[in-house]
Amino acid sequence: MRIVTEAIAGTLESSDALVRVTPSDELRIEVRSTVQAQYGARIREVVEETLAKLGVIEGLISVDDKGALDFVIAARVQGAVARASRDALDWRAL
Amino acid sequence: MLDMLEAAVDTDADVTIATVQPTRDTAAFRQIRGLLDRLGLGVDDDIELFVTARDADGRLISCLGLAGSVLKCAGCDPDAQGGGVLRRVMERMNYEALDRGRGHLFAYTKPANRAIFESLGFSFLAEVPGVAVLLENTPFGLPRYLRDLSDLYLEGDRVGAVVLNANPFTLGHRYLVETALGRVDALHVFVVSEDASLFPARDRYHLVRAGVAELGSERVQVHRGGRYVVSRATFPNYFIKGGEERARAAAGLDLQLFRDFIGPTLGVTDRFVGTEPLSPVTNAYNAEMHHWLEDAPSAHPPIRVHEIERRTLGEAVISASRVRACLESRDLAAIERMVPRPTYEYIKANFFAEKSRTTKE
Repeated sequence: MRIVTEAIAGTLESSDALVRVTPSDELRIEVRSTVQAQYGARIREVVEETLAKLGVIEGLISVDDKGALDFVIAARVQGAVARASRDALDWRAL
Repeated sequence: MLDMLEAAVDTDADVTIATVQPTRDTAAFRQIRGLLDRLGLGVDDDIELFVTARDADGRLISCLGLAGSVLKCAGCDPDAQGGGVLRRVMERMNYEALDRGRGHLFAYTKPANRAIFESLGFSFLAEVPGVAVLLENTPFGLPRYLRDLSDLYLEGDRVGAVVLNANPFTLGHRYLVETALGRVDALHVFVVSEDASLFPARDRYHLVRAGVAELGSERVQVHRGGRYVVSRATFPNYFIKGGEERARAAAGLDLQLFRDFIGPTLGVTDRFVGTEPLSPVTNAYNAEMHHWLEDAPSAHPPIRVHEIERRTLGEAVISASRVRACLESRDLAAIERMVPRPTYEYIKANFFAEKSRTTKE
């Protein structure tokens, strides 16, 4: 999926994450988390895996995590990308 | 489904989030003024939208204003704080701003609010202690601007910088650029990008490029100022009227960005500015420049500030405002004596063409 417009998904509430995606000619991911020390690397992995499944190869992805579980982070990334893209979401890939 | 989840969150804990347009919802706007007043904050008249929070009794407990891409007038009733009210307000604001095509936001607030804004996804940019902090809502903002800027690095032991609004580019500006160029090995010219002037940003930029090109030097590079050099975000009071103290605080934020990030990226050692007898805001900015670029504590070396005497024509200095006054009085001959060729051709074509004269009459 191609990110063609800026979009966000999620909230800043505890156990959630706010994901913001912006069009760009390169892929960059920034994660900030209240549990950065323990789970920062894992959150990044989840974001990377989700983007790979969605076929996103370009975009600026910023994640503000408030202690969300993996599937919440994945869902928020999917949500933001779906809003930012004109391509249909391929549910089978997920 | 995500939308429904978020909408549901908006009404829990007996707090109601809503938007207020200052020009339309006058009753709600009065309450916002009241809240901000109790917090010792004023209201800028360029705010187009507020997001507010009310408690179960309908009492206004928090507000946040949007002016262009800048968030300001963030306020929260001390009794209501700690309940994540501002977080809820910010979440709504994120979506409201995005609906208006503004994803990249800046926040201008009291230093005491820095930590809460950082917890809401903002990255710190600059602070005038005790007065104001500036943040942006993305980790990709300033770092990417600086990366692009570093592609335009010019070699030299002494590297100068000039920031111009150039509304429009005059012989005075060109004199400043020429004088600066005589004292440094390389010179960066930043043209303010904000569209708040008579001449549109695009045209101002191109006229500076064309006017500077006449000097025939390869040691000078013209930049669009973008959002980090005298923009509505970094220096709101350049574009809206406000008290002198606030103008100074805003100038401090803008100048710190220059001292700590933009200057070091380009290896700037000297900044040049024209003396400013006519505009009080610009004059105050020049005074602040000495403080923030030379004296204020910073991890980066001082940037020397040079005030260059304005070039005069007849009794008065050449200035963009004088050119605009001549536009008003339709005095093309006077304009021709004050501006470089490209600016003159542009003004003649856009303001003195046959067509515009006939439509006027």
